[in-house]
Amino acid sequence: MTNIASSMITRTRSLLIVLVLLLAAPAAAEITALVGATVHPVSSAPIQNGIVLIEDGRIQAIGADIAVPDGALVIDLAGLHLYPGFVHPATQLGLTEISSVPGSVDTTEMGSINAALRAEVAVNHDSALLPVAIAGGVLNAHVMPGGGLIRGTSAVLRLNGWSWEEMIVQSPAAMHLAFPAGAADDKDNDDLALIDETLDKARHWHAAEAAAGLGQAPRPARNDQLQALGPLLAGEVPLMIHVNGISAIEAALDWAQAQQFERIILSANADVQYAAERLAAEDIPVILRGVYNMPTRRWEAYDMAYVAAARLHQAGVRFAIGDSGGGMDVANARNLPFHAGTAAAHGLAKDAALKSVTLWPAQILGVGDRLGSIEPGKQASLFAATGDPLEPMSQIVRVWIDGDEYDLGMERHRRLYERYRLHQQAGSP
Amino acid sequence: MRRMTLALAVAVFVSLPALADWTPDIEAWNSAPPPQPEVVIVRGATVWTATDEGILENADLLIRDGRIAAIGEAIRAPANALEIDAAGMHVTPGIIDAHSHAAIIGGVNESSNISTADVRIRDVIDAESINIYRQLAGGVTTINLLHGSANAIGGQMAVIKMRWGASPEALVFEAARPGIKFALGENPKQSNWRNDTPRYPQTRQGVEQVIREMFQQAADYRAAHENHPRGRAGRDRVPPRPNHRLAAVAEVIHGERDVHSHAYRADEMLALMRMAEQFDFTIRTFQHVLEGYKIGPQLAAHGAGASVFIDWWAFKQEAIDAIAFNPALMHEAGVLTGLHSDNPELARRMNLEAAKAVRYGGVDPHTALKMITAFPADQLGVGDRTGRLARGLDADFVIWNGHPLSVYSRVEQTWVDGRRYFDRAADQRMRQALAAEHAELLALASAEASDEPDDNAANAAPDDESEAEPAPGQRRRVMSFATHLTGYRASELDHDQYCILHDH
Repeated sequence: MTNIASSMITRTRSLLIVLVLLLAAPAAAEITALVGATVHPVSSAPIQNGIVLIEDGRIQAIGADIAVPDGALVIDLAGLHLYPGFVHPATQLGLTEISSVPGSVDTTEMGSINAALRAEVAVNHDSALLPVAIAGGVLNAHVMPGGGLIRGTSAVLRLNGWSWEEMIVQSPAAMHLAFPAGAADDKDNDDLALIDETLDKARHWHAAEAAAGLGQAPRPARNDQLQALGPLLAGEVPLMIHVNGISAIEAALDWAQAQQFERIILSANADVQYAAERLAAEDIPVILRGVYNMPTRRWEAYDMAYVAAARLHQAGVRFAIGDSGGGMDVANARNLPFHAGTAAAHGLAKDAALKSVTLWPAQILGVGDRLGSIEPGKQASLFAATGDPLEPMSQIVRVWIDGDEYDLGMERHRRLYERYRLHQQAGSP
Repeated sequence: MRRMTLALAVAVFVSLPALADWTPDIEAWNSAPPPQPEVVIVRGATVWTATDEGILENADLLIRDGRIAAIGEAIRAPANALEIDAAGMHVTPGIIDAHSHAAIIGGVNESSNISTADVRIRDVIDAESINIYRQLAGGVTTINLLHGSANAIGGQMAVIKMRWGASPEALVFEAARPGIKFALGENPKQSNWRNDTPRYPQTRQGVEQVIREMFQQAADYRAAHENHPRGRAGRDRVPPRPNHRLAAVAEVIHGERDVHSHAYRADEMLALMRMAEQFDFTIRTFQHVLEGYKIGPQLAAHGAGASVFIDWWAFKQEAIDAIAFNPALMHEAGVLTGLHSDNPELARRMNLEAAKAVRYGGVDPHTALKMITAFPADQLGVGDRTGRLARGLDADFVIWNGHPLSVYSRVEQTWVDGRRYFDRAADQRMRQALAAEHAELLALASAEASDEPDDNAANAAPDDESEAEPAPGQRRRVMSFATHLTGYRASELDHDQYCILHDH
């Protein structure tokens, strides 16, 4: 509590500095200099007493000995640690508010073929869940549609903004496919047959469309679903395959190979560790879902899911750590770093654990040039913490998103906390 | 062959192996209790006592006959003592989970009536639940098995110690105070699931009314029994009809059975406390208590404890004001506050839930640890037996390879009653034994399969080609094995299914 209180005092003080600087030299205040913290760029070694210069929402420079330009807004972060914001690799944040109230849930469309859906158009930018995730250091997230076999496209979003439109970092980020579990040992699986048939139709539809464009054939009938599969078939968008269980994972990999997709990303439970060698050999990146899941089988070692990340890393698989993506995990997207921390308790190197929730998800999702580390040219989305942010004991005390300081006091939980703390201290029931 | 393996296993266990060789079995019925060494000395650890003694650096812990005999620096131990070098390690009390459904057979709700005060968890303890072993691996030594929250009065709870391999009767922690599960809010009023035959009540007002009526009926019931003349005078009078349901509620209002009530909102908790005050008893704890921080002083004044999810929120309308600062605020208000799992998976990492009490509201780490040890033990009435490291208490403790609230730490050993029920090294031996058995069974199965074509050699010709390639054939068999048979028993998955269906 004292930490938060003192951070509030610091924040008030820095606001005063902002005001003073705005009055004194309005033009020069466009550069923000974060000084005094231990800077953890993630992409390189930590810098004691480092300086990060931010201009125009981007990181302009980082180092120990760089000059702070005259008139820059200087923010002293002595004693704190600066990290890039976490990039959540697989969530439905913004699409759901209260999971038991259907009117507030837009996660799961009905039907099997939903290729034309775009997740970001249903993101409520004022969802109370977003500030809570931000307060936990999750500043960007990959938001995915969740219904059917072919589910539609996702987007990487900044988690604060005035509309979903201006929160987009990358759209579309991927086309999503739920690989049918029943197809693991049944090559005549109906669901897989429907997927195959749809992809086949889409290839023909786009061939016909191309021919029509050249005036060689009549235009095919309009079909939103088939049209939406174009970027995937053209290799412009990766396919993210959601699949659990080793036999289904193996079958999905075989299937994807036969379909000749150019880029696939596997989103899978801890069983994916059993396919590590193949994934490394074929350079297929993985979103590991569910470090905090029970072992898939009753007789497996109690730490089977805890060690999955270490196994992937050891085999040389590119991966990011996500949560299980279930209802509770959306509201608690803020706990993402702890999943990575637990993987580190069970064999994953600490620096790899940190990368698995920052730089690696950014790279896998195609936004590695903008997010995931503190490097010149990247978006200035970072936070200051009292210590290692994979430790639940650490506190995140200040946040910047695209260069602007984010007001943590806006978060609903902290508002309730402050309100009732003051009430309790006043001593009247 | 299998029978032989089994016979061999029994033979090994019958001869009560030395502690160094003791290996648990994944089946509780086949897992002999680990031996209880007469004297154990844990040397050179950082000992978190969960008492006013605080955190002791470079301390020793002496165990004698299953109880803690001494804690301090350079304790002398007899020559026959089992010595554990814990330099660089941390020792804490065993974790107490005051809200669990992890080892219950046949469903956690008897939801047929708004009150099922007469049903007892102790009749349906699942001693074989793999959750017990897995939670030992997370440092849990005592759990409170509660009914679900489908009805206002769910039934009588059972507190068990995690004695993997013991019978259901032997798991029961007899020192615990008798208790009963109540529930308020959305679940007893059936807000979140389809219900073709709705029953009263469907509002919080109705839940309050039903409970008040049952308290009054139980008071009348007890009075009728007490007023029934004894001896000669009662000889010619018909005694009041026995009613187990009312008898259990009567125990509640006479302070003989503690109420642990599922509750989310401030209003419903206030209402239950005021009813209890009218009947002159105290609500022992509220469970979940999401809005407890709004009425901390009232909870403290009543004397109710709080057993909390630290950061679950937004899963129901009534969970919208849940904040992770809740334990910090209630603790400051003087409420006996603990953290619970309510989930067999989460129960395996309660130390990280305690760490969040440091993160949200700045609870000091030792107090945060008490929220998963000493305080829940007090809530269950076993604080004089477990939950702390102090002379005379049961030797229920955990050895961690680092700071117990650190995400990077891991449980090395978990002891219950001075017996080492979990040990990383023993667990590794179990894995090897399982892998060997698995390989052996697969070999047997594939030997059987390759015998088959011979039996019908005449019409087996088309299959012979695939059988000629044993490697891929075998691989297919392993894979389909893995897909369909996860080995879990229904009672081990019950809780998850309940959660999915009913949103807690």
